Amino acid sequence: MISISKLLCGLDAEGDGLRYDAAGESAKPQITDHKQRRPVVVWNLTKQCNLSCSHCYAAADTETADGELTTEEGRRVLDDLADYGVPVVLFSGGEPLVRDDLPELIEYADASGIRPVLSTNGTLVTPDIARELREAGLKYAGISVDGLPERNDAFRGRDGAFDAAVRGIRACLDAGLKTGLRYTITERNAADLPAVVALLHDEGVDRFCFYHLDYGGRGAGIVDADLSPEEKRAAVKQLCDLTRRYHDHDDEIETLLVGNYADAAYLVEYAREHLSEARAERIDDYLRRNGGDPTGERVADIDYQGNVHLTQFWQNYSLGNVRDRPFSALWDDESNPLLRALRSREQRLSGRCADCQYQNICRGASRLRALAVHDDPFAPDPQCYLREDEIAPTV
Amino acid sequence: MAEQSNWSRVGEQPRDAVDREWEVFVRSETTDPLQHVGSVSAPTIEAARTQATALFGRYATDLWLCPAADVRRYSRTTIDERAVSIDPAKERDERGHSA
Repeated sequence: MISISKLLCGLDAEGDGLRYDAAGESAKPQITDHKQRRPVVVWNLTKQCNLSCSHCYAAADTETADGELTTEEGRRVLDDLADYGVPVVLFSGGEPLVRDDLPELIEYADASGIRPVLSTNGTLVTPDIARELREAGLKYAGISVDGLPERNDAFRGRDGAFDAAVRGIRACLDAGLKTGLRYTITERNAADLPAVVALLHDEGVDRFCFYHLDYGGRGAGIVDADLSPEEKRAAVKQLCDLTRRYHDHDDEIETLLVGNYADAAYLVEYAREHLSEARAERIDDYLRRNGGDPTGERVADIDYQGNVHLTQFWQNYSLGNVRDRPFSALWDDESNPLLRALRSREQRLSGRCADCQYQNICRGASRLRALAVHDDPFAPDPQCYLREDEIAPTV
Repeated sequence: MAEQSNWSRVGEQPRDAVDREWEVFVRSETTDPLQHVGSVSAPTIEAARTQATALFGRYATDLWLCPAADVRRYSRTTIDERAVSIDPAKERDERGHSA
């Protein structure tokens, strides 16, 4: 996760300690005071969802699936995650709110010292539910909207989904829950981006997370809806410009990018062109500390049946299952040659990544897209949009 | 008979999050033991092999695939609520009875 608002505008945020080992610079309470040592864990509580989004990495369904982890098994998993030092659990789905025990699991995570956060489509969030979640200890709700109403509803497979999500956002904000937008950028909705930010900012939202499409689950079936690398570059530039405009008007929105660490290199290039060389160097330093693409390192996923994945998008490969072996043991087991290789990937990245001057802040970006397109987890990410002159090694 | 104690049979709950699940085993050198390295989701054995070799082919001289649903799992530490405790005395009796 790359914070545009932190890097380009100096926004002080509660994730800076975790993300950049920069808690000491912050005046805000931090998620952790030290750099992240254990992964943020996404837990897909259920396969069931009331919507049918065309880019869903979890390939969610309207029906529940057999073999979902029970409440008690979930508590045991959370015990292991807490003992292991996992800082954050992101409850996701499917749609996590279809599970009645969500507040109970949130409360258990919070009491165990794990920060519970939520990814939801927002359409099931009522004022009562929002209050219940906040009282259970939920620290953040990320609500997915993928375009202006007509486009969002087509993408999400249901008329009225946009309005229902906005009602959910209002309910969360009214309950005092920190609430943000989740937006997956594709060629279908890239043009809507500024208008959606403006609309939700008017509703009181001040945190906006923009996801690049990764090629997992149903996302693998809509690769043709992904932006071209050139369009991707333009979309990211648009977000950088937009963030700076808001901050110039004292609207301190938080904007973040997820899913393509070519963005890290681009932000350095952007700062060099639009801000200053000193600022670019400072950003480069933050991004080195951040550590680049987190696959197999700083993000992990447990699906609803207990399979452990390298990130939430890697649903087709599992390290093992928490019913057989604790998450901590699976994650620490570097006898697995793929896990070991991903954690020392600098020696293995090939093609244009091999000598890229930004390799240490990008680390090859999405290994899943490389695998999907080249059948090789160490090939270049097909969605790297950096120019040859930008990636050339400096002499 | 301590080695026969405290075993549970892990519940045979589905693990096919995306597609059929296939357990993957690899051996790097011919002198190495076969190692379990996780599982892949794929609709057919051919698709599973393609995926597994893309992920592990560079580390393996041998690669085995097994349908996850056909693996019988026994554990002393599972969190599986549907795990069934194995009663060694009962099993001994049953073995004796059938012998």
